[in-house]
Amino acid sequence: MRGGTLPAALIFAALGFALSFAPPRVRAPALLVSAVAAIVLARVAIDVSRAEYVYFACWASVIVAAASVHLPGGLPQRAAVALSLACGGAAGAVVGLAGNLPELATAAAAALVIIPASWLVASGRGIAIKVVSSWLIAIAMLAAALPLTPTPGYAPDHME
Amino acid sequence: MHNKASMTRSLSAAAVFLAGSSCWASPAWAHSAKGLSGGFAAGFMHPFLGLDHLLAMVSVGLWGAFLGRPMIAALPVIFPAVMAFGALLAILNMPQPPIELGIALSVLALGAAIAFGYRAPIWLAGSLTGMFGLFHGYAHGSEIPSLADPVAFSTGFVLATGMLHVAGIGLGMANRLKGGALAIRGVGAAISLCGVYFLAQAVAV
Repeated sequence: MRGGTLPAALIFAALGFALSFAPPRVRAPALLVSAVAAIVLARVAIDVSRAEYVYFACWASVIVAAASVHLPGGLPQRAAVALSLACGGAAGAVVGLAGNLPELATAAAAALVIIPASWLVASGRGIAIKVVSSWLIAIAMLAAALPLTPTPGYAPDHME
Repeated sequence: MHNKASMTRSLSAAAVFLAGSSCWASPAWAHSAKGLSGGFAAGFMHPFLGLDHLLAMVSVGLWGAFLGRPMIAALPVIFPAVMAFGALLAILNMPQPPIELGIALSVLALGAAIAFGYRAPIWLAGSLTGMFGLFHGYAHGSEIPSLADPVAFSTGFVLATGMLHVAGIGLGMANRLKGGALAIRGVGAAISLCGVYFLAQAVAV
């Protein structure tokens, strides 16, 4: 089993970290964009046969968002909105795949990491966010590799 | 000045408590996740249940604190990232490196580096830590795909690894206290001795 709240929560957490390096005026609109994208994609009926693509988008979103904290000068305004759109869409698709929409609200709460993260960045301790973001990249790398295993292999269980 | 010293003492005490309490971690916690083994709790507890892994991960933080900037932040980034890459190699069934030997050597070398106060150049500290991370990652990667909830397990596992590094950094803050440097070197020597024991075991197998 790999669905549920966790993959979407990891996307929102990575997005929260990324936005803490974006200009303050873009943070709230970007979060709104991600929420709208997530709700829309969660309601789209995605064929289960496309699950691998959805999960790939999910882990790619986590990696890109978490890696963006290392951009010199922080995340530019337009990139922040584009990233929010992509991350929200991926989170919505993952939750939509499982068909349990209330999980989206739980997962979206992970974006609240933006509050302590913004404070850390503003107080010159952004390095802590960069360290934690690298852990998210490591998690996403591992999760993305699971379907690639040839043997014994990751086999979908009865929950999928 | 007084506040700084007091904060350092508090951080060190917290780190010692965190590292110490992990020694009493009960394996029963590993079964809590979703009623199936292999969930977040199991992944989170995993690094705490093997002394060799635990010592190596705390040592990475300790050494990073000893080396100062930029390695204090770089080592906790490098180790989990390369560890994930090592796990990836295992998941892909790549040829197995001498895992036990590598893990034992990591404990021995990191402990010795702390004990001798070795200020390695950035490239060497980064490469050594990365290489050791590869062994630790490979050791766990092979078991991830067959778990009930591999994503939750991976999340817990990587987070616990990172926290052990942070505990090591907290412990390393004692370096700034009077007599702290000697205590830290003593800890390094003890870790190194454990590494010798692990190495002897690995060679004997």
